[in-house]
Amino acid sequence: MTDHTYDAVDVVVAGSGIAGSTMAAELAEAGFSVLVLEAGPERKLSEMVSSQIWSRRLRWAGPEVIEAGDLVGAANFAMGWGTGGAGLHWYANWYRLHPDDFRVNTLHGKSLDWPVTYDDLRPWYDHAQAYFGVSGDAKADQWSPQSDPYPMPSLPLSRQSQALKKGFDAVGLSLVSNSLAVNSQSYDGRAGCILDGWCDAGCPIGALANPLVLQWPKAFKAGAKLRHHAYVSKITTDPSGKRATGVEYLDEQGARHFQPAAIVIPACHTIWNARLLLLSASDHHPDGLGNGSGLLGRHFTSHALTTIHGLFPDETEPYRGVTGANTLCLEGYDDKTPAKGAFGSRAWLAAQATKPNDLLGLALARPELYGAGLDDYMRRAARHYGNMTVLCEETSIPENRIELDSQKDRFGLPAAKVTNTLPKDNSARSDLAKAEGLKIFKAAGVSEPWAGQRAPMHMMGGTIMGGDPATSVTNSFGQTHDVENLFVAGASLFPTPGAVNPTATLAALVFRTAKHISDNRAALLR
Amino acid sequence: MKRRRFIANTLRTAALLGAVPRVVVGKSQEGDRPMSLTEPEAETLSKWCDLLAPGAARAGVARFVDQNISGSFSESMLLLRYLDSDAMLPFYRGGIAGIEQESQHRFAMGFARLDMQQSGEIVAAAAQSKTEAWTTPDPNFFYFISRSDAVDMVYGTEAGFAQLDIPYLAHIAPPKPW
Repeated sequence: MTDHTYDAVDVVVAGSGIAGSTMAAELAEAGFSVLVLEAGPERKLSEMVSSQIWSRRLRWAGPEVIEAGDLVGAANFAMGWGTGGAGLHWYANWYRLHPDDFRVNTLHGKSLDWPVTYDDLRPWYDHAQAYFGVSGDAKADQWSPQSDPYPMPSLPLSRQSQALKKGFDAVGLSLVSNSLAVNSQSYDGRAGCILDGWCDAGCPIGALANPLVLQWPKAFKAGAKLRHHAYVSKITTDPSGKRATGVEYLDEQGARHFQPAAIVIPACHTIWNARLLLLSASDHHPDGLGNGSGLLGRHFTSHALTTIHGLFPDETEPYRGVTGANTLCLEGYDDKTPAKGAFGSRAWLAAQATKPNDLLGLALARPELYGAGLDDYMRRAARHYGNMTVLCEETSIPENRIELDSQKDRFGLPAAKVTNTLPKDNSARSDLAKAEGLKIFKAAGVSEPWAGQRAPMHMMGGTIMGGDPATSVTNSFGQTHDVENLFVAGASLFPTPGAVNPTATLAALVFRTAKHISDNRAALLR
Repeated sequence: MKRRRFIANTLRTAALLGAVPRVVVGKSQEGDRPMSLTEPEAETLSKWCDLLAPGAARAGVARFVDQNISGSFSESMLLLRYLDSDAMLPFYRGGIAGIEQESQHRFAMGFARLDMQQSGEIVAAAAQSKTEAWTTPDPNFFYFISRSDAVDMVYGTEAGFAQLDIPYLAHIAPPKPW
């Protein structure tokens, strides 16, 4: 039973982050009536206060995630809460998966293949980079896949990058300007970046493409509606179980609402997409909606992240720049078998702007220091610190998964449990990368570099796409095999993660799906 | 959640505790009465955090924690919200009780009465997961979280940046430190 039922809309989208807002804008502009349901509160640019302390309010405040395995942690840090979702505090690193990332199983006999190739997605990547506004230096970055020229030149090389480049040069690797959805100059009515290093707390000037300045103005102009404090708890289906009829959601007081819709699109963070389908079990779908394959929730992946840190002899201005990374090294990315027993690509993201506090701040780079030792370190690090991060590929295996737990969340619903353990050969790949990073730092003149503990970064999979309904949850458009008017948007669709940040691929898939829905409007709205 | 993953396995006791100036914490420094913690709990937390990041007590760390565990979770500014969504008050209250328990076990007196050497010994034990009486919440994790709170207060505000002699570069300056 629900307390409130509303007039039907053509499309209801769960989640107002980058996937949801982009989908909403595209479909509203195509003439659909679109309603987006956002679990968190309304956000405004004025809330993007330049402070790591204040910025925590932008992070997830919904039900807790139960985590198990050796590559999990800090899920709340990665997810957003309110209009724009994680798009308000993302780092805007903008990379394409490489052609081989789409056919890992074919090439290596492990992980999975995608139902699309790089060539299939390339025009959508090109469209997405023009839409978001991407700066970079494609000429220098000869290791990224072929693409249209970036709309903007790269950001200037930071002092951190200049210091690190000596190390990369010395070991024979190329460090080039990063590709970012950050304006290096005015673009599409949005200001150029002033390199203040507060991306992590939100970019109120809109130099970093975020949903409040990019997608939501377009979506609202086209008539899309947005409802806050609406926590979607179930997708309903008709008596045949073959068509979705809408969604149930809970408001702040726990009251139940029903929103009918002709097309339903979960566009939440990876964990919540899978969990929502699992929560939507019914007589026709006893193991969850879209789970005819039995793989709903499975093939969760992440990136195994290791950070390398050091104090340089020269000043590096670590507080200045962009939070994502100023520079990038993809040389060697395509070698997924760099040593016996080691598997996966790796990418170096270098020279991230770093403030004194918070999870990625100066102080937590040295968690063992306290008291006067901490103070001594902070005073030197504030001017001489440098860092870089390596992302390593995780093989997609069914054992790593999102499932419903017996524990209940604050709404009385089964909690989401994520289990993720890094396969052994991926772990060996990560160890190789760590050694490589320390070598680079030493070659750059840092006498005592150090590495942080391996941690997860980015969450993907759980509602994977594929060509065969027996081995995947959706087709290449994110359309569930079992329910024709139910689409999924977001990184939960990724069969494999590659070793690069997922948002460019996520966006390319959203544009492709929106076009598919628009092209099949009559059939889907019947 | 495996809370220790954020802390290096081989913790080094690099801090020079003996050099940390003792800060006496009282109402005049911490402001109004705490909303959720008791006054003794707030004083223990202040002293503890001041050992982790000297200046944290004067900057109001106990009030920072107390206020942010007293309001709605969605408005909380504590780093703990990334890692342990629910039960913030029990977490802090348990950690403070653990400090007192360890203090009684080792020195047969409350933490407030310990000298610099003694209180430093408890900090080192928590940092290295070598507490003898204090078991929950995980002392190492409590060290990690409370250290972050102390760092927020000492280095993470506009005043903290100024103390480090680095520019703040705000787009939108915080209306208040926290």
